Amino acid sequence: MAEESEDKKPLLSKKIDKFFTGLADAWNFVRRFFQEVLLPPYEFKEVIHQCYRIGVESLPLISLTGFIVGIVFTNQSRPSLSEFGATSWLPALISIAVVRAMGPLVTALIAAGKVGSSIGAEIGSMKVTEQIDAMEVSATNPFKFLVVTRVLATTFMIPMLVMYTDFVALMGSFINVNKNELVSLSTFFVQVFDSITFLDVFSSVIKSVVFGFTIGIVGCYKGYNSSKGTEGVGRAANSAVVMSMFLIFIEELLALQIVNAIRGM
Amino acid sequence: MRGENKRSVIVGIFVFIGIAILVAGILTLGGQQKKFVKAIHLKAVFDDIGGLQTGNNIWFSGVKIGTVRKINFYGDSQVEVEMNVEESVSEFIRKNSKATISSDGLIGNKIIVIYGGSTDYPPVQEGDRLEAVMPLDTDQMMETLQVNNANLVEITADLKVLTGKLAAGEGIVGAVMTDSTLAIRFKQIVANLDRASANSNRMLAELNTFAGKLNKEGNLFNDLATDTEIADELRSTIASFKASAENTQQLTKKLEEISSKLDDPNSALGTMLNDPAFAESLKSTLQNTDSATFNLNRGLEALEYTWPFRKGFKRKAKEEEKVSGN
Repeated sequence: MAEESEDKKPLLSKKIDKFFTGLADAWNFVRRFFQEVLLPPYEFKEVIHQCYRIGVESLPLISLTGFIVGIVFTNQSRPSLSEFGATSWLPALISIAVVRAMGPLVTALIAAGKVGSSIGAEIGSMKVTEQIDAMEVSATNPFKFLVVTRVLATTFMIPMLVMYTDFVALMGSFINVNKNELVSLSTFFVQVFDSITFLDVFSSVIKSVVFGFTIGIVGCYKGYNSSKGTEGVGRAANSAVVMSMFLIFIEELLALQIVNAIRGM
Repeated sequence: MRGENKRSVIVGIFVFIGIAILVAGILTLGGQQKKFVKAIHLKAVFDDIGGLQTGNNIWFSGVKIGTVRKINFYGDSQVEVEMNVEESVSEFIRKNSKATISSDGLIGNKIIVIYGGSTDYPPVQEGDRLEAVMPLDTDQMMETLQVNNANLVEITADLKVLTGKLAAGEGIVGAVMTDSTLAIRFKQIVANLDRASANSNRMLAELNTFAGKLNKEGNLFNDLATDTEIADELRSTIASFKASAENTQQLTKKLEEISSKLDDPNSALGTMLNDPAFAESLKSTLQNTDSATFNLNRGLEALEYTWPFRKGFKRKAKEEEKVSGN
């Protein structure tokens, strides 16, 4: 009896203990993912299915968002640049902003909202309806089938979506610049590629891989650990989005520091 | 099953297009930044590179021909900049070309500008070092500006004193500005000056007209100024004048000698000209000669009527009559 009460007694405080327990669980979840991803059997079909859902089905929303971002950012930057007669720098400014930060960030945030929440809700509902337990009983590895496939799909698809977003945002910017400054397409893209470097492109790709992995793993983790019925499903979906977005911003900050350090070498 | 296949194809197309965008971007970027072209390495050592970074552009005759490859410290505190320059352009860059640090626009990135070089020198080769020319240092500019500022402060201080004196009516200008009678007189002076200026203008115009006339062809002055033959003739004439003047001088000298001799009472002519006794004697001699001549004439007239000369005189008179009759 005394041992039981000692077990229930928090180490630091209830909340702090819960936070660190959650952190340990998340760490174990990630570790398990890396273990399972390397071991057969490989669920290629499910990965492709998830790629379709996450990548192709998100494309219209992402493209529209990217296009609007390109136009809006160009329009908002113009007054500041025109104050000292530097509107010819718009393509350079937009390319740096889109390729370095806005492309990956906007794509990841949209995907976190659309894909992260759906993964969280989907796996959460499977969890509360005990479908995951049923899979375990039927000798199917639910982690491999549900988590690994989705995380791989987000990890592969988010960089692809970022490429699309970058392209569409630059095209949106071009339309705006062409309309106002009468800049031709070739001149626009010459200025765009003149101001960015390989480091910008590669850091953008690597960053989007990390963002994709984050969205997938957070959505799956939240869904996999949901409880308390339908309320838990909603909470899982919600917290998947919130946590994904929060982590994306943290990762963006870290990536910025690392890339700047590399650039300064 | 068919639906799954369709999805796989769509996902494949999606991934393909995504990768194609990435690859196209990388190739365009590499092409534009000359990453995939054959390059040679050139070096330049600067005292100060002013924030130049690896990857900054290199311009030659306003064309981007490469990028900064590496920046290293060199010697005590100098900086060696290694440049990637397109091999195809290297034939236009000569070994005596210079490298300097400039900026792309007023507030643009730092760039290296290669310029100069003469065809007397061979083209640059791998590893060549270009002569570095230090750019205009903004710190030095600021220092100069600071000196200018200090001068400006002194000038404004002096101006302040000056304007204070002017306002107080000190000095000529101050008096002119404050004293109304002085101002009126000053105005009159200015009006006079104005008139004088108008006159001088008119005079200048007349002089101009006169000079124009002098400059006309056929005019003596114009010929003197432009005709080389006349100048030669004038020179020879002046030489002749000079010779004549010398001769005249000699003649004058001799005349002076003669004159002095004439003044000498010991010489015959001097005695004739200067001795009054001699003049008196000469006068009486001439009077005697005159009376002797008179007497001689009378004697000769008498001789005309005297034999044997009478016949001769008659014959002469007849011949004279004949000549006058014809």
